[in-house]
Amino acid sequence: MSTLEVRDLTRTFGDLRAVDGVSFAARGGMLTGFVGSNGAGKTSTMRMMMGVLAATSGEVLFDGAPVTRADRRTFGYMPEERGLYPKQPALDQLVYLARLRGIPAATARAEALEHLERLGLGERARDHVEKLSLGNQQRVQITAALMGRPRALILDEPFSGLDPTAVDDMVDLLRQHTARGVPVLFSSHQLDLVERLCERLVILRGGRVVADGTPAELQETGTLRHRLVLDGDAGWVRGVPGVHAVDVDGPTALLELADDAAAQRLLATALERGAVRELSPVRPSLAQIYREVTS
Amino acid sequence: MTTSTQEQARLVPTPAPESPDDSTRGAWRLVMQREIVTRVMNKAFVIGLVTSLVVIAALAAFFAWQANRVDTSTVAVSGADSAAVAAATSAGEVAAAEGGNTEVEVLETADADAARAALESGDADAWLHPGDDGWVLAGQGEPGGDLQRYVSTAVEQQVVAANAEAAGTSVAELSAGAELTTEALEPDAVGEQALFFATFALSFLFFAGAITSGNMIASSVVEEKQSRLVEIIATAVPLRQLLAGKILGSSVIAVGQNLLFAGVGMVAVSASPVSMALPALSTSLIWFVVFFAVGFLALAALYAVAGALASRAEDLQYTATPMTFLVMGVYFVTFTASGTFLTVLSYVPIASVVAMPARILSGDAAWWEPVIALVLLAAFAAVALLVSERAFRGSLLQTGGRISWRQALRPQG
Repeated sequence: MSTLEVRDLTRTFGDLRAVDGVSFAARGGMLTGFVGSNGAGKTSTMRMMMGVLAATSGEVLFDGAPVTRADRRTFGYMPEERGLYPKQPALDQLVYLARLRGIPAATARAEALEHLERLGLGERARDHVEKLSLGNQQRVQITAALMGRPRALILDEPFSGLDPTAVDDMVDLLRQHTARGVPVLFSSHQLDLVERLCERLVILRGGRVVADGTPAELQETGTLRHRLVLDGDAGWVRGVPGVHAVDVDGPTALLELADDAAAQRLLATALERGAVRELSPVRPSLAQIYREVTS
Repeated sequence: MTTSTQEQARLVPTPAPESPDDSTRGAWRLVMQREIVTRVMNKAFVIGLVTSLVVIAALAAFFAWQANRVDTSTVAVSGADSAAVAAATSAGEVAAAEGGNTEVEVLETADADAARAALESGDADAWLHPGDDGWVLAGQGEPGGDLQRYVSTAVEQQVVAANAEAAGTSVAELSAGAELTTEALEPDAVGEQALFFATFALSFLFFAGAITSGNMIASSVVEEKQSRLVEIIATAVPLRQLLAGKILGSSVIAVGQNLLFAGVGMVAVSASPVSMALPALSTSLIWFVVFFAVGFLALAALYAVAGALASRAEDLQYTATPMTFLVMGVYFVTFTASGTFLTVLSYVPIASVVAMPARILSGDAAWWEPVIALVLLAAFAAVALLVSERAFRGSLLQTGGRISWRQALRPQG
């Protein structure tokens, strides 16, 4: 199990602190989701991790030691807004990129063919990339990052523009690498996807980490809400002290309760008025947590 | 369990790269190889190259044909007039002795009327007959210039011989000591016109090679930058290796292309009447190729920076403009320059690529002159490479808009 860690990573562009003291760890064997709005500093952080952008201060560690050029050569990386050589066959460019990383030509060729076949592109390995659909180009791009058993994966928006089937295919591929104990860090703005896939997530806002943990841990930090279901109209709950009604829809209300006393007060009042069908805690969705920590 | 192990093995077939080729020192070779292969596989490039070769060969063939073409002029004379027959026959000999492209054939007819008829019907190109005062060479229009010259020489010789005999002497005695023979101190020296064309050809070879291969390296750099492939490459190998591979790859293409053009040109020259210029021309061409190879290293490095300063292919027309001006400037200045100006240019790096071989061709460069010019050019190339390498690294990974040379050379922070 390897760990890829950043400590106090900072990057300024003129007066702008694009990345401001960011620290977190992507642990081996886990998919770590990297979330944040546009301009939150995700891409800059990932580029610094890969050494493509110089850090103003802070460090990147691989298994506890500062990451070296030789380490990075064994990392798989997908930059954002990426492309391929449009006029070169998919197979040739996969082999070329792998050979630059020191993988022998024959090995690279066999592995590229294997990957392309698994992604259903075996027939098209010798077609120029510009003739492939965007989804298939994306498959070739991720293959480029996965060649040669990388020791860590840093993927910037790997799923953007992919249909759900393709996403599942790619997740399967990534799972094979986490199964080897490789840390996988990927950024995304598709929160539902991140919630479904990630063992761990890091939320960035204005260049700072505002949340870092497993989805369950983050949900605990989020504001707990309760759902109340009555027989009659629930409009009266708005008047109960210590109860904040987030949403009332006929007999159903979504509430935030100030404390346990407020809960008991609410329940007593409700029972006086009639039957109570349900009063249950609602786990906050990641989208809700995200809105809370980034607003 | 067995299944899952097999599955695992099938899914990840590569042995772990615990000890992959750790050295990145040879990476430039991979880059160079890719540059050359993609270029040679590029249809537009191949079509352009073949078209150029065909045009060069066709032009050469046309000039050779033009030069070797034999015009036969038929002169009709009355068979009864022995003096006319002798004059026409002698005109044929004069033509043959001169070795030009005009051949004179004599058509003897029954009488003067038949000779005239032959001219009118087009069977003959001219009709030679005695006139009231000397000889008349008649044609449908004005008789051809070469033919006029040959006939007039022949007639003159004949008349002079007859007059000399009448005066009791001979032509040989009359013209003793008046013979003019020519002697070339440098039999290989190239004529002025041939020199102009050769210099123009050198300028053009430089221009075509530098512009096409220069733009090739610039667009190949911006292609990688725009697609962010360069970020993947940068994590795999040092950018210096990438730059070296690209420069060498495009140099191989540029020099190879010029060798091909020059080779076809030489074959054409050897088949033409100016083939005696071949030794001088080949010396000059060899120097040109050497100068071009060194000079193009500098140009390729600068063009690579032009690519790195751009963020998208569209930016290239701005970032590559200084290079285009440089190359076009060298092209125009070198093929029009002469005298002292040309001598100065033959030492100025980049301009010397054309100017020095041109001076070598004209024979006015001493043996040490190209050596000094080459050293200067190499020094310039070295400086250009160093500066370009720094600017390349300083701009290649910067995204968003065009980057200036100043920004590119600023110390990284």
